Amino acid sequence: MKKVLALLSVCLLVFGLAGNVMAFNPDSADGITFYEMRDQFGEVPNIETELRLGAVAKAFENEYWRTLRTGYEAMEEKLNNKGMDVEIDVRAAQGENDEQGQLSIVQNMINNEYSALLLSPISDGNLVPGVESANEKGIPVVNVNDGIIENAPNYVGPRAIQNGELAAEWISEKLNGEGEVAIVVGMPKAFAARQRTIGFENWMEENAPGIDIVERQNADWDRLKAMDLANIWLKTHPNLKAIFCNNDTMALGVQEAVNNAGKDILVVGVDGIGEAYDSIRNGEMDATIDSFPFYKAQVAVEATLRVMGGQDIPRVVWTPQALIDSSNVDASAEEIIDWKDPEF
Amino acid sequence: MLKIKKFKIFREFGILVALFAMVIIFTALNPIYISFNNIIDIIQQSAINGLIAIGITFAILTAGIDLSVGSTLAIVIVVVGKFLTSGLNPIIAIFIGILIGFLLGVFNGLLITKLKIQPFVATLGTMSVYRGIAYVITGGWPVLNMPRDFRNLVSGRVFNIIPIPIFILIGFAIITHILLNHTRFGTYVYSIGGNEEATRLSGVNVEKNKVLAYGLVGVGAALAALVLLARLGTGEPTAGQGYELDAIAAAAIGGTSLAGGKGSVLGTFLGAILLSALKVGLIVTGVDTFWQFIATGSIIIIAVYLEHVQSQLYKK
Repeated sequence: MKKVLALLSVCLLVFGLAGNVMAFNPDSADGITFYEMRDQFGEVPNIETELRLGAVAKAFENEYWRTLRTGYEAMEEKLNNKGMDVEIDVRAAQGENDEQGQLSIVQNMINNEYSALLLSPISDGNLVPGVESANEKGIPVVNVNDGIIENAPNYVGPRAIQNGELAAEWISEKLNGEGEVAIVVGMPKAFAARQRTIGFENWMEENAPGIDIVERQNADWDRLKAMDLANIWLKTHPNLKAIFCNNDTMALGVQEAVNNAGKDILVVGVDGIGEAYDSIRNGEMDATIDSFPFYKAQVAVEATLRVMGGQDIPRVVWTPQALIDSSNVDASAEEIIDWKDPEF
Repeated sequence: MLKIKKFKIFREFGILVALFAMVIIFTALNPIYISFNNIIDIIQQSAINGLIAIGITFAILTAGIDLSVGSTLAIVIVVVGKFLTSGLNPIIAIFIGILIGFLLGVFNGLLITKLKIQPFVATLGTMSVYRGIAYVITGGWPVLNMPRDFRNLVSGRVFNIIPIPIFILIGFAIITHILLNHTRFGTYVYSIGGNEEATRLSGVNVEKNKVLAYGLVGVGAALAALVLLARLGTGEPTAGQGYELDAIAAAAIGGTSLAGGKGSVLGTFLGAILLSALKVGLIVTGVDTFWQFIATGSIIIIAVYLEHVQSQLYKK
């Protein structure tokens, strides 16, 4: 028995240590924003040859990835209007658990000698073998958030930690820096869930000593689980003032619980899905952090073209994001993030 | 016969004791746990899993399984959601939903009985097919803004106190309990699970009764879908993924044997309540997320083991 326990504790220790080693974290990497990328590197190089880009998203069952696809398609049209010969083939796995299926899509693109790959992996590991063979064949790979591919030479995406920071700052301001708040975490394995939560907690710890984070539990990105969580918290923490959710789906569930309880509690989500915008317009949800997948896709393609055109851009390019509340819910995205089409 | 009945009461009494112990522990850690509202919440939160679990119990009793319940739920959610948002009378929409659930279950039953496909494989297939249909119906988008009258009808509160899903759960439990214990269909379900060949040889139409059992599984999933749709006010085609495993867990805790022929509606019902009580308890006491997984899994194993020990003791 003792031996077993000893072995077990050694295992736990080893796993614990291994789990905490994170070699590449795009949030803390030496990256630049896409505005800076344009300032520093100027025009997008014009590539004369025929290009076929393979973009692989997580799963189209999720609105976020469907919007990303429309962004890729919009960019394809813009580039062809500029006289370039570009085809962007946008694919996705069969659901967010289809890790092998996503890998075979990538392998197939490599076998068909696509010019470059833009990959949003389901997990940190599932596309690694694909990227290895792409690297060998010299096919450029851009990791588009949010699974982190260790061996992909470039990364494009929003700073996940900034999601949490923006939410924390906004909540703290609304509460005048005082009160009890809670966090609903997404799937604990997800990079975005971890970073958004850490960003929120760290910001509060450094800037708002009067804010007390009384709960932090996960609801696996699931609306019902989030609603059930909130139902309980509303009873166990009668003085709860705000709830930050790692995504909008969960925030909408939490809002439902808050409505049923007839309480006035700030609910903030992340992603900026259409339903969240509607909810903010109706005076229900209070804010969301939109990372504009439609524009993120275009920045990703732009970065890919710069890499292919020989520009030496840094490994990490951060895409725009902004907090949306009742004050700017009806403003256009171009206005909010000051978007301009790239120059060639 | 009398002996068996006595044994059953005894067994479910065991789950009650476990439940009671859990309530005492969680209440000691945080007194809010025993508050009236919290108890109501525990039962309300068990409704969705409970409805599916009671349904799936029928499949398991025939020595089968139904993995497609989560996907069945998704189809019912999006179809009923579509009808409701286009202005259909909520009561008609509810009946359509239950009918769809029944038909999807019957289809599973036909695959299993007519094509002789093993239940695990057949419903593994329809799990994917049904999910796909739910996506196709909405193009992957959620169906938004369920009308208030439907939501009040299905998930409102009676006298402003007791949520209607609790009545739906208990109502379904009573009806299925009667079906299982006081009709010939129920007797056949047990005997098919006990020994299918012997049942067939004694002249029972095994196929028909099996198909009906799977139809009932579909009805349970459909009722769960209606509750979910009303509680959230939004129908997502992604809803219900993994629900089959929660349902199987509830049935197993309730003493349903995965080998078939043994189990009861009351046991499954209590199993679902126990899982919900555990989940709420872990949240109320603020147990760290990662440890919640460990706790939940351990409780399932312990509960089923205790049930096994108990039945061995009784045999002696």
